[in-house]
Amino acid sequence: MKHTDYYKVAEHTFRVCSSLSFDNYKPFIVAETADTLFALDVQETTANIPFTQELAQDDEGQRIICGHTHNNEPVFEFWDGEQKAGLLLCQPDYRSNILYLEHGFERFATDNALMILFALASAHKSTLLFHSSVIAYNGAGYMFLGKSGTGKSTHSRLWLQNIEGTDLLNDDNPAVRILPDGIRVYGTPWSGKTECYKNLSCTLGGIVMLSQAPENRIRELKGVIAYASLIPSISGKRWDKSIADSLHLSETQIIEQIPMWHLECLPDAAAALLCKNTITCNQTQII
Amino acid sequence: MQLKPGFILREVCGQKVIVAEGLGAVDFGKLLSLNDTAAFLWQKAQEGDFTAEGLAEAMCQQFDIDQATAFADVKEIIDKWQQLGLIQ
Repeated sequence: MKHTDYYKVAEHTFRVCSSLSFDNYKPFIVAETADTLFALDVQETTANIPFTQELAQDDEGQRIICGHTHNNEPVFEFWDGEQKAGLLLCQPDYRSNILYLEHGFERFATDNALMILFALASAHKSTLLFHSSVIAYNGAGYMFLGKSGTGKSTHSRLWLQNIEGTDLLNDDNPAVRILPDGIRVYGTPWSGKTECYKNLSCTLGGIVMLSQAPENRIRELKGVIAYASLIPSISGKRWDKSIADSLHLSETQIIEQIPMWHLECLPDAAAALLCKNTITCNQTQII
Repeated sequence: MQLKPGFILREVCGQKVIVAEGLGAVDFGKLLSLNDTAAFLWQKAQEGDFTAEGLAEAMCQQFDIDQATAFADVKEIIDKWQQLGLIQ
């Protein structure tokens, strides 16, 4: 039987009507409220909805095809290898949406649909959904960015193993909000292959772009170079001008307020220590 | 000539940059920093069909510069944009 649940992620509430429930959303359940960012109705049936393809995004064998119906309703189709996992049909403002699930892909399609909706519906509210692994240390959150396979999770694990007082906040998809009193990073129900679904947040203390190298080296990034490193790690639909404008505004605020570095590194303890000693030494007061 | 759709002029920390945001531009995979002259020409070129001569004339009106220098500057910038695939 279907039930309606409310979840709050990074202070944004959304409503999901589904017969399924997944453990990763449990820490985020809240009481019923009228003030929701978006709603998703999950239907366990196949829908054959014709749409015009705009773009296909591939990531490690998983594919998202973006498009629109003849009524200009956004459509996202999810594929796992050669198998269709689901189809998300949206309203143009992303407030009311339907997910048609394929059997066997319930969690995969639900997570993908909710991540897309969260990223697009919250873009105008100074919120960004990142592809990043993020640790909490001494009250601040530090985000590690990099292409898939660079070693973001590995670098977080090296902090956890070698630096006392480190906690993992999220391993794949943290949310960041630009607020009047500062920038915060939030745990979410989406954390890649690592079960780390923490309903916690920290002041964002720094961002580190990672790349693999034969030796460990770190340098600060500023201005356009920092911006160029940041944008590939942020989810969005930049070919929608109004979403791109909102993302750009949030991104420039991050560049202006948050220190950023590029860490070329080996997967070793020394890399984590070099990183920690560099990025946590200039902290003034962290509340 | 026309600028290819999907490339947007934005400002990051006081620096003008071209970012690839639209469909058809997403494979560009880089940012292009523009100086003030190039940013001015981009804004002019964005208005629709353009020619090197037309842009050079606009430059002469905006800046204190002679026709020959303006045309040479415009040619150089257009060549670069062409190499980068920003023009159709």
